[in-house]
Amino acid sequence: MDLTWNGGGSEFRWPWMLPLLVVLVVGLLVWWARTRGRPPAGAAYVAHADRLRSLPRYQTLVRRRVIIGTCLTLAALLTCAGAIVLSGRVQERQTMQQDDRTRDIMLCLDASGSMAEVDAEVLREFRTIVDGLQGERVGLTIFSGVAITVFPLTDDYDFVVEQLTEAEAAFGTGGVYSDAYALYTAGTVVDWSVQSQLGDGLASCVQRFDRKDEERSRAIVLASDNEPIGEGIFDVAGAAQFAADEDVIVHGIAAPLTADRPSALQLFDDAVTGTGGTFALLGQDGSAAAVIAAIGNLEARKIDRPPLVQVLDRPTLGTVITGIGLGGLVAVWIAEGAIALRGRRREDTP
Amino acid sequence: MTAHLTRIKSRLSVHAHRKVRGLLDGEYAAIHVGRGIDFNDLREYVRGDDVKDIDWKASARSRQLLIKRYVAERKHTVLLCVSTGRSMAAMNDAAVSKRDLAVFVSGVMGYLAVQHGDLVGLAHGDATRQSARPPEGNELHLERLLGIVHDAIAPDGPPSDLTALLRYVARTVRRRTILVVVSDETTLPEASVDILRRLTAQHEVLFLTIGDLDPTLPAVADRRLVDVDAGAEVPGWLRHDRELRDQYAALVTSQEQQLRRRLEQLGVVHERVRDTESAISAVYRLLERHRHARRR
Repeated sequence: MDLTWNGGGSEFRWPWMLPLLVVLVVGLLVWWARTRGRPPAGAAYVAHADRLRSLPRYQTLVRRRVIIGTCLTLAALLTCAGAIVLSGRVQERQTMQQDDRTRDIMLCLDASGSMAEVDAEVLREFRTIVDGLQGERVGLTIFSGVAITVFPLTDDYDFVVEQLTEAEAAFGTGGVYSDAYALYTAGTVVDWSVQSQLGDGLASCVQRFDRKDEERSRAIVLASDNEPIGEGIFDVAGAAQFAADEDVIVHGIAAPLTADRPSALQLFDDAVTGTGGTFALLGQDGSAAAVIAAIGNLEARKIDRPPLVQVLDRPTLGTVITGIGLGGLVAVWIAEGAIALRGRRREDTP
Repeated sequence: MTAHLTRIKSRLSVHAHRKVRGLLDGEYAAIHVGRGIDFNDLREYVRGDDVKDIDWKASARSRQLLIKRYVAERKHTVLLCVSTGRSMAAMNDAAVSKRDLAVFVSGVMGYLAVQHGDLVGLAHGDATRQSARPPEGNELHLERLLGIVHDAIAPDGPPSDLTALLRYVARTVRRRTILVVVSDETTLPEASVDILRRLTAQHEVLFLTIGDLDPTLPAVADRRLVDVDAGAEVPGWLRHDRELRDQYAALVTSQEQQLRRRLEQLGVVHERVRDTESAISAVYRLLERHRHARRR
């Protein structure tokens, strides 16, 4: 799945605000210019004021006012421009194509002692393909007497790889008698007389699939030696039937030792192929790689989902312009105030 | 119709308590050159009366200074010559408009004349239009004249032009008058000087100028000022600059001095009217100075 947002061009959310406000500002300016020419009501008249204009000090003051006025006007116009841009609401439209392949893969590993090495290998192989996944969800369940969900279906691949590595270490390095293995598989055996129940394990794994209402490809990679101890709730055929009913494809990987028990092997094979999955006897064709490849080829049902669109406000430009304008206004006002204050002080001290 | 004359009279009566009213009377009487020779009555001496008119014998009898009053040989004419351009519609200071002040000083002069049985006429005008009213000797007429002056002055009127008004007077007035010029000119252009020179030959010219509001004063900082000539607002930030105020005051003073010197050269007595409070004493000073000028 393409997880990046493709940034579209920036545009105004309310483009009509721009001409409207520009017209408003220009209108206000025109009105101001008009009314400025008119003498204000209630004003006192003064005659011979033209004498004032010939004074050198008047010229100096006027020049100062013109500079201040120009700065103020510029700052005010800048503020207006920024405000107009802000009011137009600059937005960036980003789209995300949701072409995620909708596969759910549940790794279902028999955690009984005889399977440790096989599990480690399956996990190792599986880890290599996780990197290439996009949009699929992966989960891990281990079972012996009862099933334990190590992690549920997720597309957080970093977490998945981490978990797979951890599981591989637990199964692979220390061997059956190591503390790591014991700790990892703790809880899978409740009753020592009931172990390695392939049927129960498979049924549990089938139950681990969620989002039943979505049309997703669901697959289980089931690694076992089909050497149950004791009596389980589901038998293998029953569990396979349950999987088939739930539309789950089960890929089976049998441990090499299973070959010594043809009936068990056959049962496993029949159950797996009955769901439409592949069956491989480890050691027969070298590795679990073939199974994993088969999973990779599993057709992902594409869900026709509309691209995700997110619209982000981009107020930076307008804010910066308005900020500069306001800063200018404040600066000019401060300067003006300082000049006025200085003038007043000089006036107070005759 | 606002009773201009009533206001002037009431103010003059206030001054009468300050013993100024009679003073003005004496001063006014003394501006006439040709006084009659027919004895009319005696009245108490007031400052300003010509010492020659004192009836020493009567004074000795009554133990107070009495002066002889004569029936004037002929009626004199006081011609009020008021510049009524739009600059007169401006403020004189923060409280009084120049228009009110112009009406007031014209009224004082006119009232003095009417009290003496003299005739009062009016010539007023601006840059585009000048007109005159024939002299008459009653208060109603004076009131009417003052109303005309009052109504002629408006902020949206034509600009002031004293030269044009003086030229109009020189052209139209044939008789010899006491010409009381009420204007707000800050400078006298050459053209005005020439016409004034020409007018002084014919009339007794008294020149009253009315000042302007200083737009740089902080006292008017809270008011919006409009330049009556340009029609534009005088910006408020001008009222807070000491340097500008000093420069403006210096300019006004120098212009005033220049105008005074100019008029002195012409032999025209001049007085500046600053406010209604000092207007009467300004008129008094004007008359007094004129009397001395004549005696010289």
